[in-house]
Amino acid sequence: MADVVCGYSRNRDEVLVAYLFDDIDSTERASFGAHLTACERCRAELAGLRGVRAQLGKWAPPEPAFPVTDYRSPAASPPAWWRDIPAWAQVAAALLFLGVAAGIANLDVRYNTEGLTVRTGWSKPASAAPSKVAAPSGVPAASGAAQDFGPASSAGSAPWRADLAALEQQLRSEFRAAELSSAKQAAAHSAANTSGMSDAEMLRRVHAMIDENARQQQNELALRVAKVFQDVNAQRSADMVRISDYLYGMQNSTGAEVYKNRKLLYDWIRTSQTK
Amino acid sequence: MTWTDEELVARSISGDADSFNELIVRWERPIYALAYRQIGREEDARDVCQETFLRAYRALGGFRGQAKFSSWLYRIALNLCRDWMRRERRAPVVQAPEDVDLMDLAAAREPSESIEDLVARNDLSRTVERAMARLPEEQRTAIILKEYHGLTFQEIADLVGCPLSTVKTRLYQGLTVLRRELAKGGGSKPAMRT
Repeated sequence: MADVVCGYSRNRDEVLVAYLFDDIDSTERASFGAHLTACERCRAELAGLRGVRAQLGKWAPPEPAFPVTDYRSPAASPPAWWRDIPAWAQVAAALLFLGVAAGIANLDVRYNTEGLTVRTGWSKPASAAPSKVAAPSGVPAASGAAQDFGPASSAGSAPWRADLAALEQQLRSEFRAAELSSAKQAAAHSAANTSGMSDAEMLRRVHAMIDENARQQQNELALRVAKVFQDVNAQRSADMVRISDYLYGMQNSTGAEVYKNRKLLYDWIRTSQTK
Repeated sequence: MTWTDEELVARSISGDADSFNELIVRWERPIYALAYRQIGREEDARDVCQETFLRAYRALGGFRGQAKFSSWLYRIALNLCRDWMRRERRAPVVQAPEDVDLMDLAAAREPSESIEDLVARNDLSRTVERAMARLPEEQRTAIILKEYHGLTFQEIADLVGCPLSTVKTRLYQGLTVLRRELAKGGGSKPAMRT
């Protein structure tokens, strides 16, 4: 067959392959088509290459036994470093943060006839002062004795409790002195602007300012707590996704194992049949 | 509504991650198949596929649409395959026969196809794979892009950076070698020529 002379003039191999894949302009296609009717060599070669193409069609890549790509990986932002910390450690850290925040905010929980009261900040109502500490002059006593659940309530049950109670009293008196000092400064400043205002009125204003400050701190603490819970929930959701992905991967690998076992079984049957 | 690749690229650039995921869903199988036929190893083909999309995502801002998105992806994948082949020059490109899963083929066989035909078809697939592995890289690439991915001669020329006539010549030479090899029953030695 190879000794048959082909008379096609130019670029015969290129035109042949273009004709084979039908990626050829119409003029050249018509020209080569006409040539084929007369050239046995080109007809045979074309038929042979069509056979090659048919055989090429039998070659399929194996189906991967796993997802080819993780859809989220390219688009997702890189995971934050803290996502690698176990969830329990994050919860512990959150609780520690809450404790520290409560300590910094001087969280004060009281339960009295008015119900449950949560206060923050260094401001204390005058009624909170222990009876041993002399109330400063001009400070009105608050009505309704609040039951303090602090350590001082059980003083005397242990030696360290007495020391702790004394320390608490000392701190309270110092804080009150500082509070009064700032209140006086504020009052003096206010007096410069509001001449003729009574001491009681000025003190009321100062207390209002202090209460406002306490409310602000309460709000801030509430916001921080909400943020922590939001973070914990977000991490929980991310953990659930990771667990789901892991289970999916486990399922796929189990499927691959089953396939391998089935193939081994099939090969064994085929081998025993041929014997 | 079905977006074109280029529209999805534009949306991805503007920050829509779902659009890029759509591009991955659309193109992961062709890219995986291209990588597998180039390097012949399933896991490495998967790695190349993932790396292709990762690089595409990172370079998405630089895609100006002069070429089709698919051609751009193919170029990235081919470059990665070429890097892989340079690194693994001595490694066999065809997997061991036992890695070909007959159960996968059985699932796709025709109802009228006997088990003997199925085995013969699997053997033929392996023979073609071996014969392709023996081709020079540029001939193999041209055949893969033309036969399995349906690119035009011009697209292949643009992709691999050679004249149009060179692509046709490579195809002709590669197919002629394959014809001879397949007539002999395929290469028995899974060596790779690059």
